[in-house]
Amino acid sequence: MLFTSIINGLLLGGMYAAVGVGFSLVWGVMNTVNLSHGAMIMLGAYTTYWMSQYIGVNPLWFVPVAMLVTLFIGYLLQKYVINLTMKSGTNMTLILSHGFNLFLVNAAYILWKGDYRSIQSPFSGQGLNLFGTTVPYSRLIVFVIAIIVAILLQLFLSRTKTGTAIRATAQNKDAAQLVGVNISRIYSITFAIGCGLAGVAGALMSTNFVVTPTFGDPFIGRAFAVAVLGGLGTVSGAVLGGLVLGLAETLGALAFGPSFQNAIAFAILVLVLVIRPQGLMGKKFF
Amino acid sequence: MASRLLKQWNQSKETLFSQSAQRRIWLPVGIVFLLGAIAFPFIGTGYWIRVLTSAFMYVGLASSLNIIMGYTGYTDFGNVVFFGVGAYTTGVLVGQFNFPLPLAVLCGALLCSLYAALLGLPLLRLRGHYFSIATIGVMDATREIVTNMKITGGGMGMSFPIFDISPQMFNMLAYYIMLGLAALYVLASFLIRRSRFGFGLRAIRADEQAAGISGIPTTRFKVTAWMISAFMTGTLGGVFGLWFSFVEPSDVFDIMISLKFMIMVLIGGAGTVFGPVIGAFFMEIVSELVWGRFLELHMGILAIIVILTVIFVPKGILHYVQNRIGLKGILAEMRQNKI
Repeated sequence: MLFTSIINGLLLGGMYAAVGVGFSLVWGVMNTVNLSHGAMIMLGAYTTYWMSQYIGVNPLWFVPVAMLVTLFIGYLLQKYVINLTMKSGTNMTLILSHGFNLFLVNAAYILWKGDYRSIQSPFSGQGLNLFGTTVPYSRLIVFVIAIIVAILLQLFLSRTKTGTAIRATAQNKDAAQLVGVNISRIYSITFAIGCGLAGVAGALMSTNFVVTPTFGDPFIGRAFAVAVLGGLGTVSGAVLGGLVLGLAETLGALAFGPSFQNAIAFAILVLVLVIRPQGLMGKKFF
Repeated sequence: MASRLLKQWNQSKETLFSQSAQRRIWLPVGIVFLLGAIAFPFIGTGYWIRVLTSAFMYVGLASSLNIIMGYTGYTDFGNVVFFGVGAYTTGVLVGQFNFPLPLAVLCGALLCSLYAALLGLPLLRLRGHYFSIATIGVMDATREIVTNMKITGGGMGMSFPIFDISPQMFNMLAYYIMLGLAALYVLASFLIRRSRFGFGLRAIRADEQAAGISGIPTTRFKVTAWMISAFMTGTLGGVFGLWFSFVEPSDVFDIMISLKFMIMVLIGGAGTVFGPVIGAFFMEIVSELVWGRFLELHMGILAIIVILTVIFVPKGILHYVQNRIGLKGILAEMRQNKI
């Protein structure tokens, strides 16, 4: 029972990591809490759903498509709207992203109605038998892809010129500008990456949960927790934060009953905030 | 900004009078408005009485959030937790212990204050987004605890006793109580803003370190501000429960309500006395009009209003009205905010 819980917790944690990585990156680099992250997750899930409805192969092929769609939307939003208000205070960008979230969710309701939709993948219902515990393939794949995406993101940030510019911007905006980094372009790219990662998370989770217009909203709270637990803006921190949160939730559910799952997760979050406000990974962005 | 406020803190007696002189226009406007609101139930229909009752509730809620968010500068996403705790405490005390109504509401509000004090001591040490997130955590955890408690009826929700008066009378009573509370809390935030305590809070918002160095007991002030805010929100929660006669956890501990009154504060103008009032009325009335006409587009239209507000009037409507900033000024400010 304990072993099953730990496996489940880790798998859940992988999912939370996928949700939290992009959120944490945007927050860490731009000091913007992106509440439209949930809507981007939802758009990624819907993209996967519609593609697999019309083309009908393994939905995992559409993960890159979902990423490109949300990447593009995120880029446009940041470049043409959010960049206009970047200096009017963090509260305002937060409210603005909340506005986007409401707008996109409402648009989804009008376009696709509130119907519950689910995707049949070739591997749904099957699982891997691991020491007497059945691990569903769909969750395992989510976990593996989440880790791969995190590694790719880390490589992008550390090896490419754009990635270096993003890290420089996060460390010191003015100094980065002085050495020739175009801040507004970097912000657009960072936001686009954050939204693209949300799209990936949505595409991955669409094989596990039913897709509705409010699909992404419950995950915003988790993304917050993951970002804060791991320390803002670090990829490894977000992965660790996700795993810790996933484990805490499943083990907490095992110990106190499933109805206190959220309370435990947030009690841990508040505790970490009070004791180690810089997050578990413990340093300020890179 | 910081130095000006600190100066005011040091000579708060003198500034009290010099400041109030330039804003004397608000007094007659407020009185006319209040008289109109008192007379309204005799000319308006039941539907609009209900709409205005909830508008007054939001005026009160926005004003109370303004004390911690606008004056002190701590963005509290979870202030609705006190709304829920107030409503539930009132409900339990009235329904199961037969407390008289005003006493029950008062006890609920006092419990909220106590809760804010206990939470505030650790949480108000956090800054910026971290405080905001912690308040969301507190709200979610509290909702789950209330959902799992026996005495509150759990996830089924809790019904309040039905009162033995006609629905018209009941609605009128709720209207006047909400109006009274809203007026009282606007007055309270006015007095707080003018007081030494209020200058201290605004100095904390401008620069907490500088405020601490110049002798403002920052922790005590912050916790007190949150306790006041919690007390106000708690009474409104209690009255809301009695008015709606049914509450459930997902209703009163809803982050959407929190965001709603946060947006009201920001649209009107955070840190001002009348900003939250304007914001609350604007949002409630617009939301009501839109909701009635375009049910499906309701959320999207509200979203567009929010987006346009942030882009064009990020400092709140009141700021632009008070300083007579026209289109030119707005465009100039937009250029400044652009990156």
